[in-house]
Amino acid sequence: MALLEARALTVSLDLAGQSIQVLRKVNFALAEGRVLGIVGESGAGKSMIARTIAQMLPRGFRVSGGSLDFDGESLVGISNARRRDLLGAEIAFVPQEPLTALNPVLTIGQQFGEHLARLGLARALCGARAIELLDAVHLRSPATLLSQYPHQLSGGMCQRVLIAMAFAGQPKLVVADEPTTALDVIVQARIMRIMLEMTKRHRTAVIFITHDLRLATHVCDDIMVLYAGVPVEIGPAKQVFGAPRHPYTRCLQLTTPSLSAARRELIALPDRMPDLAEFGRITGCRFAPRCPLRQPRCDAEEPPLVEVAPGHRSACLFPERTGTFIQEPPIVTGLAAASASDRDAILRIEGLSKKFRRQRRFWRRAHDDVVAVHDVSFELYPREFVGIVGESGSGKTTIGRLSVGLDEPTAGRIMLAGRDVTDVHNAKSRAHRVATIQMIFQDPQSALNPRRRVVRIVTQAMEAGDRHAPWSERTARAQDLLAEIGMPSDAAERYPAQLSGGQRQRVNIARALCSVPKLLVADEIVSGLDVSVQAQLLNLLLRLKRERQIAVLFISHDLSVVRYLCDRVLVLYRGAVVESGPTEAVFAQPRHDYTKALLAAVPPDDLTQRWAALAASGQDAGLAL
Amino acid sequence: MARFFASPGAGRVLTSPHVIAGGLIVAAVFLCALFAPWLAPHDPEDQNLIVRLLPPAWMAGGDPAYLFGTDGLGRCVLSRLLYGARVASYVAIVASFGAMLLGGVLAHIAGYFGGRTDWLIGRMVDVLMSFPPVILSLILITALGVGVNKVALAIVLVDWTRFYRVLRSEVLTVVQRDYVAAARLLGYSSSQIIWREVLPATTPLLITLLSLEMGIAVVVETILSFIGLSVEANVSAWGVMIADARNYVHQTAWNLVLPILAVFLTVLGFNLLGDGLRRTLDPRLALRVGR
Repeated sequence: MALLEARALTVSLDLAGQSIQVLRKVNFALAEGRVLGIVGESGAGKSMIARTIAQMLPRGFRVSGGSLDFDGESLVGISNARRRDLLGAEIAFVPQEPLTALNPVLTIGQQFGEHLARLGLARALCGARAIELLDAVHLRSPATLLSQYPHQLSGGMCQRVLIAMAFAGQPKLVVADEPTTALDVIVQARIMRIMLEMTKRHRTAVIFITHDLRLATHVCDDIMVLYAGVPVEIGPAKQVFGAPRHPYTRCLQLTTPSLSAARRELIALPDRMPDLAEFGRITGCRFAPRCPLRQPRCDAEEPPLVEVAPGHRSACLFPERTGTFIQEPPIVTGLAAASASDRDAILRIEGLSKKFRRQRRFWRRAHDDVVAVHDVSFELYPREFVGIVGESGSGKTTIGRLSVGLDEPTAGRIMLAGRDVTDVHNAKSRAHRVATIQMIFQDPQSALNPRRRVVRIVTQAMEAGDRHAPWSERTARAQDLLAEIGMPSDAAERYPAQLSGGQRQRVNIARALCSVPKLLVADEIVSGLDVSVQAQLLNLLLRLKRERQIAVLFISHDLSVVRYLCDRVLVLYRGAVVESGPTEAVFAQPRHDYTKALLAAVPPDDLTQRWAALAASGQDAGLAL
Repeated sequence: MARFFASPGAGRVLTSPHVIAGGLIVAAVFLCALFAPWLAPHDPEDQNLIVRLLPPAWMAGGDPAYLFGTDGLGRCVLSRLLYGARVASYVAIVASFGAMLLGGVLAHIAGYFGGRTDWLIGRMVDVLMSFPPVILSLILITALGVGVNKVALAIVLVDWTRFYRVLRSEVLTVVQRDYVAAARLLGYSSSQIIWREVLPATTPLLITLLSLEMGIAVVVETILSFIGLSVEANVSAWGVMIADARNYVHQTAWNLVLPILAVFLTVLGFNLLGDGLRRTLDPRLALRVGR
């Protein structure tokens, strides 16, 4: 019998007198010891399922139909007392943000003890049990850990503590909502391995919520793909990924760049997922407006979830066509590595170092400076994309900020188009930078002034310093730039708050392009975006490379994105470059242990290949990460 | 300012009941002050000893010529209240704008440039704030003599630190945003960044503080005129009226109640306006402002 079973579960939101189905007819059955992956982009309703299980729906949301049973008991309309009994004990949660999920003013031991006491363990035994549980998630010296505060631990360690806490009561069901999204890839692989280990040991059923289809395939037994609150495909993981029967699932695959296969152009779906207010207006299939295989029938009738293979169901009117479309997108061309020898470097960095001074305490005299970047040298040639990869804290962002002159280097030299611009205070080198190098920022929310209209943002360069371009010139330029980044001309009159995340990032790019720079520094510009929007932006950058002959220093933690976009790559580890070279060569034959570890941490595309990182057990050998 | 009112969400301000109620009260007070010579039925300093201590017109024994009655010297209470509004409004506007200019300019400079500039201005504020404000204003008035301008100056010198402290921390958070870094990369000068990128973001807070400061200025002016340290003897002010009415409180309490009511309503108006603006413009700062 299924441990957790949803039958036609529907959650509605009453908005402006209208009832909107946020989750529509969700069906699944989860047995003991199985892992169900719920995959979708942001806004698909993944977290809503977790909230429905916890019966903690936000204000205005309610279960309006169907049932959700846990161990033979209905979770819908459960009493508060019973819910408190279940949560933490029978049903446990692993949160998305490990650092904010722990109370910063209590030690790990206090929080763990509190939790164990709630589960009914005698206070005297809590300490020993906590050590036992922390040991089970492979945390070193758990005894000292208990006396530490959350800020003294890394994100990965916090997440392991939370996993240990979740499994402490030997729950029957664990709900993990994007447990590794906030963590680095190497840590992600380890967290996944530990979760699976715990699951096997206790025969726990797991709901694993993620946006990463590839990761879900390696981790889960079954996968449910959600789109706009509707389950579009559900079935055994290998089958859903290997032979998808819904065009959305196929598109998810085609919009994610691969790490091993030939570099093919990404399919960029038009537009984005509809938001809540738009759900009500769609009559037929909710994916139809973006579907490459759309037929007139799709807009009229809502496709039922039908079985296409044993245990594999798809909500498409033409499931058999999924396999036929866009089998092989064209291989990306025009990426031939620039011949570096005969041209001058546009950016030449020599022996660059940056130390940050820690806040000095008056009783401590020693300078314990933090070395963010140590002796980094590289060159960047016109029309070349160079990627910088590394985990958080490796100094990627600092290199970007030093290159554009937002920070001052402690040592080293920065040459920009043949001129020394190391001194950030020099007015002449500042002017030279303005004309040569621009930056695209990571968080488009913070990068765009919310009080300016798009037209005034993208043409900001024309009012800087002593330039005063007439308004007519600025509006004309804004239209050119909007056309170049693929946005409608009426977007010029909007404010950033009226744009979607992907559109904001485009505006961010347009502003950098306005002063016609030769080089762009792009700092994690696609990391907060959904894969389908990410694909649109990556293709935009490639087009700019072809048409504008622009060079890009691309900073990212995502190896497959770097492989898709960059000619050369620098691997950064603890502030120093440990490996560099043409992307293909570095990724195909990594030489440094760290590069190998990074590559191994990415789930492979090939399903027949076992993901080595998942299988490794115990402590990691080699690098102390 | 124009940029601020063009921004999204500014329209919401006019739908807030707090803003509407506060705005109406404040507008009424300002109109009374502006048109006092035309609205007042009598000269406020005109003494008519025959009709001393009249109750308001609707009470038994009231005179319709003196709507709010007369005081101990036979002066028209309504006229004095209307003229008192001039003093209150003048001090409210001059003092709060002065404090805003001084505190706001220094806050933006300190918050944007940081480092030594920030340290220097910060220590200056610390020194100033360690003086008890009442003593500071007493010293100022004693040294400079009485008069509304001196009262306004005293309020500016005491209260600009409030603007400085709150605005500086706001500037610090705005300067962290990437759009300020982007403007720097595009070649904006420091003054251009402060003026075009930082100031529009701090303007909502500035307006809110300004409105609250006006209420505070009215109270401070009333206190100082109550103890005789504000206006010259021949000028009507609400504090002076309250002080005068104490002697006759057993004959007619209205003389005392009416100016207190005037102060109360005016301050309520400013606070409602400030509170409404704060809620509609910047909900994060709910706990930071206020005396």
